Amino acid sequence: MLQAETVQLLCLTAASGVPLFSRGSSKQLPFSVIGSLNGVHMFGAGQGALLSSCETERGSRVVWRVFQDSLMLIAVSGSGNNAVSKLHLHRLLENTWNCMVLVLGQDELANMRNVERLKRELRSCYRLIDRLLERRGEDQGFMGDLTHCADCLLPSHPAILQQALDSFTQAANSEFGCLLIQGRVALATEKWWRLAPQEVVLLSILVNLLSGVTSCDYPVFLPQGSPTVAHRLLCFQLLPSAFVCVLCGPSPSLHHVESELVGCFWSPVVETLRGCLEQGERSPLPPSVSLRWDVQALLLINRETRRSVGACPRARSHPSSEAQPLSSPGRRWELLRHFYTFAVTRYFTSEEASTSPDSSTSATAHESLHEEFSGGFTHQPVQCYLVTDECKCYGLQTPQHQLYLLTDLSVPTFALRSVATHTLNAVTATTGF
Amino acid sequence: MASSRLEKRSTVREEGEKSEEFGVNDGSDTESTASSYSYSDYSNDLEPEWLDDVQKNGELFYLELSEGEEEAVLAQVAASQSAATNHVRFSEKEAEIITDEGKKRKDSNAKSEPKLKKLAKILGRKRRPSQRRGVDGKDSRTSQQPASILKNQTGQRAGLVVQQLHLKDVCVYLNPKKLGSTSPPPPEKGGLLEALLGVVHRGGDSKGQMGERLVIHGLVPHSPASKCAQILIGDALVAVDDVDVTSENIERVLSCIPGPTQVRLTLETAGAGGGEVDSAMFRPRALPQVSQLVRLLWGEDTMELQMSVAHIPHIVMYLSLKLDSESSQEEQEILYQYPLSEAAAQLKGVRGIFLTLCDMLENVTGGQIVSSSLLLRKQLVHVGYWKEGANLLVIGLPADRVPLLHLQTVVEGVVRTLRVMYGSLDSAFCEAENSPRLDHFFCLFFQQLIQPSRLSDGSGPSSADVSGTLFLDGLPAVRWLTLPPDIKVEVDTVLSDFESSDFGEMSEDSYDMRRLYVTLGSCLFYKGYLIANHLPKEDLLDVCLYCQHYCLLALATEQRVGQLVVWREVFPQRRTQSSPLTLHLGYCEPHARYFLVIVGLRHFMQCVLLEAGGCASPAVGSPGPDCIYVDQVKATLLQLESLDSAIEERLCTPPTPCLSCADWFLPSATRDRLDGIGSSPILNRLTAAIKPPSPSLIGRTLFGEAGSGVGPVGLKGRRPSPQRSLSDSGSEGRGETAMTFTSGHSPHTTPDSARRIPPGGSRRDSLGSGGSDGSGSSGGLFKIPRLKQPNPFYLGSLRKSLTDRESEEMQNILKLTAGVENTLFHYVLMETVQGIFIAPTHREVSQLSGSIHPQLIRNFHHCCLSIRHAFQQSLPPRERRGAERPQASRGLGPVKEHGILFQCKPENWTDQKKPPPTMTYWVIGRMVLEPVPQEFYVCFHDSVAEVPVEMAFRLSFGLAV
Repeated sequence: MLQAETVQLLCLTAASGVPLFSRGSSKQLPFSVIGSLNGVHMFGAGQGALLSSCETERGSRVVWRVFQDSLMLIAVSGSGNNAVSKLHLHRLLENTWNCMVLVLGQDELANMRNVERLKRELRSCYRLIDRLLERRGEDQGFMGDLTHCADCLLPSHPAILQQALDSFTQAANSEFGCLLIQGRVALATEKWWRLAPQEVVLLSILVNLLSGVTSCDYPVFLPQGSPTVAHRLLCFQLLPSAFVCVLCGPSPSLHHVESELVGCFWSPVVETLRGCLEQGERSPLPPSVSLRWDVQALLLINRETRRSVGACPRARSHPSSEAQPLSSPGRRWELLRHFYTFAVTRYFTSEEASTSPDSSTSATAHESLHEEFSGGFTHQPVQCYLVTDECKCYGLQTPQHQLYLLTDLSVPTFALRSVATHTLNAVTATTGF
Repeated sequence: MASSRLEKRSTVREEGEKSEEFGVNDGSDTESTASSYSYSDYSNDLEPEWLDDVQKNGELFYLELSEGEEEAVLAQVAASQSAATNHVRFSEKEAEIITDEGKKRKDSNAKSEPKLKKLAKILGRKRRPSQRRGVDGKDSRTSQQPASILKNQTGQRAGLVVQQLHLKDVCVYLNPKKLGSTSPPPPEKGGLLEALLGVVHRGGDSKGQMGERLVIHGLVPHSPASKCAQILIGDALVAVDDVDVTSENIERVLSCIPGPTQVRLTLETAGAGGGEVDSAMFRPRALPQVSQLVRLLWGEDTMELQMSVAHIPHIVMYLSLKLDSESSQEEQEILYQYPLSEAAAQLKGVRGIFLTLCDMLENVTGGQIVSSSLLLRKQLVHVGYWKEGANLLVIGLPADRVPLLHLQTVVEGVVRTLRVMYGSLDSAFCEAENSPRLDHFFCLFFQQLIQPSRLSDGSGPSSADVSGTLFLDGLPAVRWLTLPPDIKVEVDTVLSDFESSDFGEMSEDSYDMRRLYVTLGSCLFYKGYLIANHLPKEDLLDVCLYCQHYCLLALATEQRVGQLVVWREVFPQRRTQSSPLTLHLGYCEPHARYFLVIVGLRHFMQCVLLEAGGCASPAVGSPGPDCIYVDQVKATLLQLESLDSAIEERLCTPPTPCLSCADWFLPSATRDRLDGIGSSPILNRLTAAIKPPSPSLIGRTLFGEAGSGVGPVGLKGRRPSPQRSLSDSGSEGRGETAMTFTSGHSPHTTPDSARRIPPGGSRRDSLGSGGSDGSGSSGGLFKIPRLKQPNPFYLGSLRKSLTDRESEEMQNILKLTAGVENTLFHYVLMETVQGIFIAPTHREVSQLSGSIHPQLIRNFHHCCLSIRHAFQQSLPPRERRGAERPQASRGLGPVKEHGILFQCKPENWTDQKKPPPTMTYWVIGRMVLEPVPQEFYVCFHDSVAEVPVEMAFRLSFGLAV
């Protein structure tokens, strides 16, 4: 039996049903179960009924999806109090496929010649996939895998750093450059932001995985941008948990960039970087943004640029006697994830379709699998809130932004709306996010 | 045993009439009950007309339309040459007649001549004794089929045609009920021929003349004969339902018509013109089509409805999980399946998926599968599962009709309904004889979900509101109508009288017999609203599920039901599944059987739960409907009919919490406002209210106070946010509003004037109830001005018990929203303990006509589905499939309140220069567990920062049960 609150990810060949790998919980599902999970989907597909998902009374779910008619991915989530949402599982499958493309390229996956060889090659993706599965990032407030928006950090003084990044990237013969601080995108060149949001998210996760190394040269396929031609991802550690990376072609060499360019462009701004790191340890938001003391956590998404910034105050900025003790940041992030899922699946729109118009036909067909509950509304939902035993949640959608806010129970319900709009204004006005 | 009960029965029946006469004297409202009782007398003289529909297992579903509508149907049926059935037949076989029928008949109808008795059988075929019939009853009908003789007559007819005497058959609908209870009209006045049929025949003085031809000398206007337009003066009536009639026997023949029915008259048309009078030329006039729902309930015409949804994938299957590998029969695991459309066949083809998933997921995750989604023909289909024992119920529905959030509620509803009707899913599906009934059941089920608009006439207020139906039907509650206390008390008294089973001979003192049934309780619906309930909540829900499923509540909303009689054995959830609590208390429900009786008359419908066994005598076999009980229910309803007008008045009152129409908040360039005013029913009512009493006095107080109470906007023009435009003082309003009403042409003020009407209208309407506290109803109008503020809302039910000061406070309370302007659009309040909910009545909603408001309500209901789902997830686990859900809630934790803000823009915004105005409104749901569990859903305009808690409490304050 599947352990509670875990997710098992299965990958099989779509045509023959040969299992390629299984990641997730420590105890693997028996082969017969894997076989029948694949079998029901294949049987249905043969009869013209494409199985998409199912759910049990205790909240465990199974989600199927076939990619490029070659690989079948199945995610099975265990039951439990903290059940994984359907949206999360769907995103997980998509991210996993993108990971595999990122590492191996689409050709390798779509035109499978030797199953055994593919099995071996897929091992190189395990680290990345495991990172997606283990949900460790959730405690630190990484939401990119769920929102498909890049997790950002807003530095206080971006101008100097931006200049350094731009010229560094240019010197490295590239247009794609990015500065990651605490695993979040602090700065990026204009071209980098034009990558598909999923790609930005995946590249950030990939760089985070390399935290032990000082520099690396990694071949990557871009799942949306260039799924068949590999690029080089050059990555350099400037300070602990501050990385700069560029996407480039065959030149320049890693050694050249590391020895000549990095020191040249980044040593003048190392103090600014240090300041950024210190700020990043406290909050992804610059200190100039003053949040109300009763805001427990927030997630702000810019719908146009597909960036998101989250914040979860470590401690009360304004300690008050009647304030309830803050729950752990992990729990607050978790609540925020739940609330995001709740609001997006029911009321708000996630920007999936608008950003990837050139995505393959299988993806568009897949989109119709999602039941659009919000499609049943005759009028447009713009805000929503929830009052639970733990906290109050407020969601707000404007043409440009989406804000998800967690507040204390002490905030009166009717004041939530003004708290939310005030917070939105405070963040956008000071940072121009 | 059986025979002794039989004898008792027959005596009981005779005395039943007497008891009703006693009832008249007991009744408080003597006049009305007397008249209504006389109404029911016919049913005592003759066997009830529904007896023929009783099925072998004792079940009865008899639906008869009210007179006007039934005639329409019959005409239609006659036109299509099909059999004139006016009721549902679930089984193809004729119902059987018990052996001792002859004996019984001798007892009851000894006086009547044998020939007439036979005729009555032919006419009505509605004679059946009223006691429990033995299961092994044999058909003794062979002696009652004189069809061969009649066939000869039709043969003769052909000959007559040759002799230039054209015979024609005309079907007319006769209703002896219309005659009332008076003794048959004397022959001098034309007798029944004239009174019932409307045919004037002056037979001259030839009294001794035997068998005079019945030449039609005249037709009574508006009578059945003249309405059918095929009976002409000069024709001769030859036969009634193939029985030859002359002036000698016509009265007796007609007197044998037991109840409303269709008879076929054979007429002889003489003269040259007769040749042209071809029956083909007489197509019945264009008649309003009877709704699909009724035809569906009658079991007619299901094919066409099924065909129209055949392309939409939907299916119900009952599958066996235990596969017998030895017998290699195809599809042996399918115990039941419906429908047989192509799309369903595709779903049936993949049943292996459902079986495998159900089996596997239980092993892998330790939980039962509840739903799965699959893509079929590019349509997303959700499949709901319910496992009972070794069998699996699978229901597939298209996603655009039933959201996944709501699927589980739908499945649970079906399962519970089936359990109530059959005891368990196994007993429902595994018996082959049930399958035609189940086909009908699921035909109704899918039609309601997939194309609800076709079932209603389109006249319903929310005919296209699928989400509304889903949401309201999914609530574990019944729609409740609050009544003024005096009416409520009266209704409750009548029901209690009935439930005491004290009618005459039914008391155990009279006989040494145990009574057949104990009345456990009953509930009363008026136009689909529950107005009184004496049933425990779970029983009420069971009954209501049944009614909902068969659309009985919707049916009674319109004037349709001439008579509805339902009798069936039921298995109430509460009584069949003993809860652990009662075991602890040392009490357990008696081992008994339960029967549900539903009787509907016009807008009233009463559901009664009877218990056999326990302290009543145990039921043997499958007892059919008991005339005594059914008649008693009918008598109760007739007694209640006097309250019809009072309840109707309550329905006509303006909404108790005053409602606003969304369109008023959104100035629209495309809409012609003046047009809207002319058709506004409220405005009309207002003008009516202003005119009669001296306008100077009333008008001043009305408008002045309305100004201060509701907030006039005057001629200042409207802005999107009404709150901003409310700065006018009351004094200013006084002058302006008066002007507004007289002129009424300013496009800006008219929406406000319409909105301001509820105070005026309600004042007028509250007169009735205000008058009931003693001082004459006409005085009420002038009593009101002594209050400083006008009573803007209907206070009738509450004010009486309060002092004046309190009632002044109340006025502020009953306007639910704070601020000067009323901003409440819609609400639903569910009281979980009693299992009832209140919402604005259909009429209240339809009065707020507008283009955006119906959208808003649809949106509201759709949103409520989501809100309620959020509540449900956080509730402690219900006892579902015996499996315990983990106690701790998942995800977000227990949700107590949830609100969504919507933005709407007018459609077809033509003005290019200006951006379209927007109107924003909240839909908020709140769940209260203390002190009484309640769920509360409101929809109000954004302009107020409202604390919905207060709204909840205020609304529930008005809910006096």
